[in-house]
Amino acid sequence: MVVLKALRPAICCSSSIFDGGPLEPVDKASFVMFPFPASSLSMRLRRGNNAKLSLVQATEESSMPIATDPAAAISATNGKATNIVWHKSSIGKLNRQELLQQKGCVIWITGLSGSGKSTLACALCHALYSRGKLAYVLDGDNVRHGLNCDLSFKAEDRAENIRRIGEVAKLFADAGIICIASVISPYRKDRDASRALLPEGDFIEVFMNVSLQICEARDPKGLYKLARAGKIKGFTGIDDPYEPPLNCQLELPQKGNICASPCEMAETVISYLEEKGYLQA
Amino acid sequence: MSTLGNSMNIFWQESPIGKLERQKLLNQKGCVVWITGLSGSGKSTLACSLSRELYERGKLSYILDGDNLRHGLNKDLGFKAEDRTENIRRVGEVAKLFADAGLICIASLISPYRKDRDACRAMLPDSNFIEASLFLNERDPKGLYKLARAGKIKGFTGIDDPYDPPLNCEIEINQKDGVCPMPSAMAGEVVTYLEDKGYLQD
Repeated sequence: MVVLKALRPAICCSSSIFDGGPLEPVDKASFVMFPFPASSLSMRLRRGNNAKLSLVQATEESSMPIATDPAAAISATNGKATNIVWHKSSIGKLNRQELLQQKGCVIWITGLSGSGKSTLACALCHALYSRGKLAYVLDGDNVRHGLNCDLSFKAEDRAENIRRIGEVAKLFADAGIICIASVISPYRKDRDASRALLPEGDFIEVFMNVSLQICEARDPKGLYKLARAGKIKGFTGIDDPYEPPLNCQLELPQKGNICASPCEMAETVISYLEEKGYLQA
Repeated sequence: MSTLGNSMNIFWQESPIGKLERQKLLNQKGCVVWITGLSGSGKSTLACSLSRELYERGKLSYILDGDNLRHGLNKDLGFKAEDRTENIRRVGEVAKLFADAGLICIASLISPYRKDRDACRAMLPDSNFIEASLFLNERDPKGLYKLARAGKIKGFTGIDDPYDPPLNCEIEINQKDGVCPMPSAMAGEVVTYLEDKGYLQD
């Protein structure tokens, strides 16, 4: 079955109308459902008649799902859930970006516990707000209170934590929001998997490159102390690895300004966003 | 230090920019419009129409469509009862984040079990959860009822899996004199509700 986008409700027909001669001229747009693939349809139409079949945009008044290709219309066979049809929304990312006067993206801040991710995220949020831009922070700790409250810190749960945050960040970026994900995200493959969810350039990886010694000296939540005392197992940096990014977009603090304040670091990110055009529609 | 379930040593991070600031920027109040109903009842159509009506009033909304989310965040879930529950839970949590961001989040899902919808309602403070239920004639836009009646889909809502209609939803959309209302008219009903309750201003 092929479902076409159209202006008016469907007229269902069997293939028998095409077995005879040319189609009657159609002087108004109509929407036809054919019981055979599109490729064979166009061959039939080219065979000696003047009928023209073209795809036109459906309005939101249509009660039929709209799909641009048969595979999407029929079923999604992704293993777990079949019989799912992709629904196209009439208001899209471009509309939302126009409304917000910015482009949606994901700023993914990664680094050891205590490296300053949440602090940078807050400062960045503030800096964007003062420029009239809408941002939202997905903080690893906060998300673990809600969406990810069923996950622990075992490797597979860390991977699932990052996967879900990546998917949610993608939705926020699609909504036109500058989504700031602030999460240790220690494994490179998990961060790369989140990157792959977004269009090229929209995933901006910011590495808080602060040494373990400095992080541990700060120990803002007392976690390194507990980890050293063996009271927390699998703590990143102590007895669980952190894999630094190989190709991040920004590394902070920048070399030559290692004592930069959170506000200064936020301004570095803002400059990057401005340069890449994210702070306008 | 908080001790929750699987995750200890997690702290609530305070952000200086909060919901009120975002609502001021957007000139609206964040909330969740939860559209529930059988397959083919017109949920996605209403969601699209509503987002267009809101956009034309300069309001920012975002649709969380059950089918779309099952391609992404919820692609690891099937249709067994516990997976349906987890599907709804996750959508509820994400919708809560969008509402906190100041958006009018339109969740469009069958969400057949009352207890799961009520759990989502409980996640949102201050009555920011607006349940809209659709009671329209069964149509079969995706050919799923036909497959279900032929026994090719098991556990299909409305055929061999239950749908618990809402008992206390904020908006109920029914047929009028046997005719389905146009999507723009249904969207209009929801917009009127949002306006009356003050969601379309900061």
